[in-house]
Amino acid sequence: MTFTGTIGKICMFPLSAIIRLCVALRIHPNVLTATGVLTNVAAAWALGLGAFIWGGVIIIVANIFDFIDGKVARELHEETRFGGFLDSVMDRFSDITLFIGLIYLYAEKGRTDYVIVTALAMMFSVMTSYTRARAESLIAKCKVGFMERPERIVLFMIGAFTNRMAAVVWVILVLSVFTVADRIYYTWRELNGRIRVEDELEHRLAEIRLSTPRSRGAGRR
Amino acid sequence: MKQVLTLPALVVWRTFFWTYERATWQYDLWVIVILAFVWLTPPAWLHDPMANGPGLIGWILQMLK
Repeated sequence: MTFTGTIGKICMFPLSAIIRLCVALRIHPNVLTATGVLTNVAAAWALGLGAFIWGGVIIIVANIFDFIDGKVARELHEETRFGGFLDSVMDRFSDITLFIGLIYLYAEKGRTDYVIVTALAMMFSVMTSYTRARAESLIAKCKVGFMERPERIVLFMIGAFTNRMAAVVWVILVLSVFTVADRIYYTWRELNGRIRVEDELEHRLAEIRLSTPRSRGAGRR
Repeated sequence: MKQVLTLPALVVWRTFFWTYERATWQYDLWVIVILAFVWLTPPAWLHDPMANGPGLIGWILQMLK
């Protein structure tokens, strides 16, 4: 048992109760998704004002909605492809909103260095999601790289509650750069591997065609 | 590519070109490293516009002086 696994299991107790409550109240998953985004806007507002503790609390609330919407949809048998698509799009809005809150804060403080660092972290966070989405239109799965959305959100919470947001932004930036590079490299490798397999299949088909007696083909004509 | 890498380089490669799942010991280790960086690095080193206090390393350095 790992300590991150234990923390995950402990967090699942209250979350399961919230999921059961939403299922009992038959709250539509899209309502939960929309509430999550709006709550994230409030969190970004708090971060923008430098109220990190409030920001952290609101981020927790917002991400409870984000976390449970898919699970409530499954329980209510209201899972749709559009719901999945909407959820992913709204997640990007939520991500970007939090970064904009921080960019506003650092701009207010006259810290253009951190405006740039946060903007770069935002860019690579969006690219992390984009590279996976685009890769999975070409290959079966591209779930590599460390810095995914849950990690970013937990880091935002840690940064907000312990007032170490600058360090958190640096971590998100550096690891997001590696995650994007990782996904590009993985997709390139997978596609090359697939090309090699396709070449081999082509080669074998050519061999089969050559070994097939010509008379059979002539007969069909 | 991995075959030509020596062990330390392989560790660095696998750390940054991440393929491990969540809740594995490798994930735990990386989380500890990240938390150590976030909490122990003195905010002054990063010119943090918001943080106050020297942080744990800064505090230890002050105690040693």
